[in-house]
Amino acid sequence: MVLLIALLILALSFMAQLAFGAVMLNPLQVLRDGLREIFTATTGIARYRLERALAGVVVGASLALSGYLIQTTTRNPLGDPYLLGISSGALFAVVLTFALPASAITLFVVRPFAALIGGIIAYLLTLLIASKAGMTPTSIVLSGVAVGTFFYSASLFPQYFILRDIHKVFAWSMGSLVVVNLNKPIAIALVLTACTIYSCVSRNVLNALSISDDFVRDLGRDPSRERVILTAMAAVLASFCVAYFGVIGFVGLASPHFARRLLGSGDARYIIPLSLVFGASMLSLTDVVAKIVFYPIEVPVNVIVSLVGAPTLAAIMVGMRRHARG
Amino acid sequence: MLGVENLSVAYGKVNVIKGVSFELRPSLVALIGPNGSGKTTLLKAIAGMVPYSGEVLIDGINLRRIRVDRRTEYVTYVPPTISALPDMTIGDLLLSDSSADVALLERYVRIFGVERLLFRRIWEVSSGELERALLARGLARRSKVLLVDEPLSYTDVRYQLVVMRCLRRLANEGRVVVVASNQLNPLLNYVDRVLALKDGKLFINAPLKTGVDEDKLSELYGVKMKVITIDNIVDVVPVEEARG
Ligand SMILES: Nc1ncnc2c1ncn2[C@@H]1O[C@H](COP(=O)(O)OP(=O)(O)OP(=O)(O)O)[C@@H](O)[C@H]1O
Ligand SMILES: [Mg+2]
Repeated sequence: MVLLIALLILALSFMAQLAFGAVMLNPLQVLRDGLREIFTATTGIARYRLERALAGVVVGASLALSGYLIQTTTRNPLGDPYLLGISSGALFAVVLTFALPASAITLFVVRPFAALIGGIIAYLLTLLIASKAGMTPTSIVLSGVAVGTFFYSASLFPQYFILRDIHKVFAWSMGSLVVVNLNKPIAIALVLTACTIYSCVSRNVLNALSISDDFVRDLGRDPSRERVILTAMAAVLASFCVAYFGVIGFVGLASPHFARRLLGSGDARYIIPLSLVFGASMLSLTDVVAKIVFYPIEVPVNVIVSLVGAPTLAAIMVGMRRHARG
Repeated sequence: MLGVENLSVAYGKVNVIKGVSFELRPSLVALIGPNGSGKTTLLKAIAGMVPYSGEVLIDGINLRRIRVDRRTEYVTYVPPTISALPDMTIGDLLLSDSSADVALLERYVRIFGVERLLFRRIWEVSSGELERALLARGLARRSKVLLVDEPLSYTDVRYQLVVMRCLRRLANEGRVVVVASNQLNPLLNYVDRVLALKDGKLFINAPLKTGVDEDKLSELYGVKMKVITIDNIVDVVPVEEARG
């Protein structure tokens, strides 16, 4: 039931994504034209809108799943995809690419690839340190914070010396769904599909992990091993998102909490689909807001998502609390 | 049948279980011993939850050869409590277990009086209530060997009896049921056999009749113990030396 309503919200926000922009358009028209443009390999505003809308959906859903996986494996309600140092690793790598000549290749190929690799390297480093400390939830969180802080500071040095490009670095780190082509959402969608399937198959393990390591052992699984696999998926998802669309915060943190609060349950079976849908709607809706609040100037979606999302999360937490007391 | 052969467990360099061997037919068995003697560790080792040396055999099959996804058919460890308190309801906790038989789960939920707790968060129930929920979850699996850790610690007198009666029935139905606890009453009034651990070694392994021995129990706990019987109910109580 809740899932149905959530899907409806997602459909509406998707339509809004198509409708709003520099000019108001009929969303169904945009959908039809966009699909035609994609299949006839022509470009136009409809195609651009459609691609951006799709990006919002897959990125939102990916961040949500990633956040859910991190929160569960680290048993930390503050868990988000960037808790593993991924965003800082990617940022560092991106800053390094500013040393390269500013060509289209640098911009569209090297930079996302660098961000992807940077994110994954940061994750591996986090994992390496955590494994030396027993691969417990706490050790993962702490080493993630250490690696993240290190790369963030390391990225400040080159930024300081290439001051002329600092606004570009800044703009990149703000995250945005613009500059899209269909390859990016498709690549993310593939990774997302694989990770979602694996998560759903492992829902018993995820449930057990959220309770205690003993419950995982009780299923005959090794909690450390499961933690490595599941955080790796979260890291890959988040790294792809960061690489293509910059750092988009909050969605990963908040979506699983929205799902948990509204369901009043923490069972992976329901949380996974609902978080995915919430993440997708949240990012889509806020991207619409980002397009229209300061029209015709577009605000980075990352700013809006936190600005709108944070109070919403707070309101829901408070509201549910009162509701629970009756 | 549960066979344990020369089982040892070490945490780091510290040996906690030091070469324990025994064999149990389907029955209800008390596992007693002072704090830190290794009861929990022994049960977890038998459930394959901590690395061990030696062998564990269930119905003649080596635990190491049982596929992990089928292990719950053979053995279940029921923890006394949960250390982390996740954002889950008691209902989630019960249903998080795909190897449970749902009809049976419903039955145990009723027996342990957990129905009205299903929509509460794990941290919104009392220790005894959580313990009862964990018991319902564990017993709802049809494992051949059931290892129950401290089911009498938080439960009140009435539920202590409910727990022991349930475990008694499971043992009668052909399961090997081991209960780690030091609540000698009601424990000793239901079991067939007594195992005692002292410093990681098997100190008592005897049928009830000979297992409940004042001298042995006094040595086990390091205090003078006396066996008393009222209306056929056995209790073992510490008797303090008269203070001067
Ligand atoms: N994870 C661990 N790492 C290191 N040592 C441990 C660990 N768990 C238990 N120990 C130690 O192993 C010994 C046996 O512990 P265990 O929990 O098996 O005792 P127990 O008999 O169940 O005690 P209690 O009656 O308090 O439940 C104790 O000395 C304990 O301090
Ligand atoms: Mg114990």
